[in-house]
Amino acid sequence: MDFLKRFAKRLGFTLLTILAMSILIFFLVEIMPGDVAQTVLGQSATEESVAALRDRMGLDDPMHERYIRWAGGFIRGDLGESLYMRGVQINTIFWRKVGHSVVLALTALLFYVPLSILFGVFAGVKEGKAPDAIISFVGLATMALPEFVSGIILITVFAVGLEILPIASIIPIGENLWQNLDILVLPALSITFVMFGYVSRMQRSSMVSVMKADYIRAAILKGMPRKYVIFRHALKNALLPTITIIGMNMGWLFGGLIVVETLFGFPGLGSLTMSAIKTRDIPLIEACVLFITFIFVFSTFITDMLYAFLNPRIRYKRGDV
Amino acid sequence: MYTLERTQDPDIGHLKAQDFENLEKIATPDDHTVVITLKEAAPTFNFIFTDYNMAILSSDYDYASKGESAPMGTGPFKLEKLVPKESALLVKNSDYWAEGLPKADELRIYFVPDIDSSVSLLEAGEVDIVPQISPIIKKRLESMDGFKVVSPYQESRFIALADDREPFSDNRVRLAFKYSMDPEILAKACQGTLGETIFYNETPIVNALAQYKKIPFRGRDIDKAKELLAEAGYPDGLSVDFFYASDHPYGSDIAQTLKELAAPAGIELNLKGFPRDIYLSQHWMDGPMLLTGWGVRVDPSMLLMLAYHSEGPWNESHIDNPRIDELIEKIRGEVDPEVRQTYYDELQQIFHEEGTVINLQVPYLVGVSDAVTDYRQPLTMLPQLEYTTIK
Amino acid sequence: MNTYLLQLKRSPRAIAGLTILLIWIIAAIAGPSLLPYTYTGMDMDNQMVAPGQAGHLLGTDALGRDVFSRIIYGSRSILTIALLTSLLSSIAGIIIGFTAGYFGGIVDTIFLRIMDILMAIPPLVLAMVVLGILGNSTIAGLTIIVSIAFTPATARVARGALLTCKSTEYVDAARIRGESHIYIMFVEILPNTIGPVIVEITARFAYSIMMIASLGFLGVGLQPPTPDWGMMVIENKSLIRAAPWTVLYPSLAIASLVIAISLFSDFVSKVMINED
Repeated sequence: MDFLKRFAKRLGFTLLTILAMSILIFFLVEIMPGDVAQTVLGQSATEESVAALRDRMGLDDPMHERYIRWAGGFIRGDLGESLYMRGVQINTIFWRKVGHSVVLALTALLFYVPLSILFGVFAGVKEGKAPDAIISFVGLATMALPEFVSGIILITVFAVGLEILPIASIIPIGENLWQNLDILVLPALSITFVMFGYVSRMQRSSMVSVMKADYIRAAILKGMPRKYVIFRHALKNALLPTITIIGMNMGWLFGGLIVVETLFGFPGLGSLTMSAIKTRDIPLIEACVLFITFIFVFSTFITDMLYAFLNPRIRYKRGDV
Repeated sequence: MYTLERTQDPDIGHLKAQDFENLEKIATPDDHTVVITLKEAAPTFNFIFTDYNMAILSSDYDYASKGESAPMGTGPFKLEKLVPKESALLVKNSDYWAEGLPKADELRIYFVPDIDSSVSLLEAGEVDIVPQISPIIKKRLESMDGFKVVSPYQESRFIALADDREPFSDNRVRLAFKYSMDPEILAKACQGTLGETIFYNETPIVNALAQYKKIPFRGRDIDKAKELLAEAGYPDGLSVDFFYASDHPYGSDIAQTLKELAAPAGIELNLKGFPRDIYLSQHWMDGPMLLTGWGVRVDPSMLLMLAYHSEGPWNESHIDNPRIDELIEKIRGEVDPEVRQTYYDELQQIFHEEGTVINLQVPYLVGVSDAVTDYRQPLTMLPQLEYTTIK
Repeated sequence: MNTYLLQLKRSPRAIAGLTILLIWIIAAIAGPSLLPYTYTGMDMDNQMVAPGQAGHLLGTDALGRDVFSRIIYGSRSILTIALLTSLLSSIAGIIIGFTAGYFGGIVDTIFLRIMDILMAIPPLVLAMVVLGILGNSTIAGLTIIVSIAFTPATARVARGALLTCKSTEYVDAARIRGESHIYIMFVEILPNTIGPVIVEITARFAYSIMMIASLGFLGVGLQPPTPDWGMMVIENKSLIRAAPWTVLYPSLAIASLVIAISLFSDFVSKVMINED
């Protein structure tokens, strides 16, 4: 019962956050310098044509009216019309790219989560010994390489040496992503490096503290086999903070997506956002940023809920945490 | 006819409005003939139609709302599929007006934002043609089997010194800047060789054109530059905001090299690079110093009219020189090519002495796989893909 | 303080991290004046030469500029921005987080919710959108935007740290004495929460370096010819086969700085927080 109350409360707040974010994003983009109509028509446009376009686009209406129009459209599923590509409805191109990015993000998660947990736990268990030193060092080194650096390294290795994976992520005409899954590998790997470094280190330190806990040491002293203790008791408790870590790092994952998609030319939300910013396509920028925020907030929400669900102390206890 | 009339529509703000003001009347005696009567003589009028913004349009098509997603024109290929920002599929237009063309059945275009990725696709055999590659990529492709690099034409990079504001409104300052130039170094910065792949002059007319007059470079002279600056009232040097498109080929390299070259003379350039779309819509035409890529026009008077006539719509350097205006107008109306050439000669001399532009010619490079035959791209900048095939 | 120093001596990792950091700081301050080349000087006879040739320790790039010099000069901007960013976001975060935690109740709830909302945009996305629309960045602009992006996270940590000491004896004692709120917050509580706060500052430092490098990569870094390490990597990306040193060394520079700070941060966290 408590859990449901918590769930509802958090959900409500999440939706409120999204609403507030939408206002913030809209406001932020609108106050940026540069006349939208001028941008569309170019430098050589006459005063009259600029004024005419402003009128047609409703740019001189008061801000709250424009916001309501935009937000209302969004709720109905209409993301508006692109400024740069006139006549093109954002909806027609947006969802395809979002789908691609979701697959890429999931692939990256698939790569790095099991790897980080595995190696983090292993390093934590073997604290102070050789495997720990090696894993910690690798984690540290990969954590220090921004995604674009690891991306460039991967491109060079695969372009020159191995040639078995495509280093530019295009989807041949008429095909879709599922027929070209190999374009996911290198971009996802680039993100994996950084995330692995971070999460494996966290996992390791979490494992180390758990191993030092009294009840674990007591169990080992009592004569229970080490492996048993690790798998039955230590692991459960060491994993809980990891969920939080992964959730907390979703923000970084999204940032990484933008960098990596740009580098590899992967047709996803990240490269769409870059392109929108470069061409100052205001409606597209707003749609992209709002959606990224939406997904991010939701993933935080899910992580929180997962943590609360799995953590017996919260699940079965009253009160706020 | 619809196309021509459209140029005069004030709502659209067509670039060629001025060029077609000369139209007295248009008649279409039959379905395939257009008779154009001009108010004044203009011997090179035909060439206006070669400009890239003069595609022939249909009078009953809604270009305003469908122009981007479902274009309609008279070309050799039809748009069959378009995934914005990703790819496009064009198929042969069986009703094309030229017999036997186009030779290819299909064109597949991929939009890849990163040039290195595009080239890796070329190397992997996934694509056959990659336009607008850099000289460094050219070197790499040429050392590999199975690829060649075509250099269909030269483009200009105009360095515009604005005449309507400080500091370049004073010709002495403009000359001072020109005295700090070193074309050899500029050529090397563009990974080329002066006189072979890169050319430098101080008029808007490129050396490939018949009307070009070779005026020797004045030579780099930092002392002279400082002297001129002092005369103009800047004994301690000056600083200027320099706008350019940071993601346009050669842009960033040229800008940084200019900064280095001008520094010893006391001219400090504050580099302000922006992505091309932002540069063109926000800063171009409105800065004391600009770097812009220009395509060549087959008839140089078209470009002169656009950018160097005081009333030209693209007069980026805001030049307002009555003698230049006069010469340009005379060139447009002069029927005798020899007399016309004397006007061109005088024009170029004036540019050298008091002009507001430095013209750095850089090659436009296209990477092509050996399997491609007959890739043509004339000076008009539009590739004539109707002739191209794959072996 | 002495115990910390003692423990420092016993930890080779921390010493390594601190050493690297100091080397970069010294390089940033004194380096440029010791170098034979400037970061813009174009040695056109030696474009793209390999490290060790023609007097260029780490080679030159496509415009004949000395890579080593550019990296040393670049350390200035990256350290300055990273330092300012971590300090600014930490100070702002502490003030906001402490206020929220200390006063509790409605104030706390409001602050918390506002911070949550601000944290809803991933920091890189926020910075990229703002800077991308503005067109380019200055040192001041980058510092401010990245600080704003980081403040909410710092505020949360500060708030958490304050809550752990809020109901301790010395705080109660100060309250009974009648000390002002500000006094209590900053004189009594702050020194006792210094551990997590320092860890947070060092973490922010590392993040901001990554962020600035990434923003440079995305094209909204500092204007050329400023030798911003991230921009150096993106500018020279095409040269990776012809002149790999132009990409390799800036990348190593970024990595070394981040590793150094992480090592130091690990040490601080071990020593100042997990005191069992």
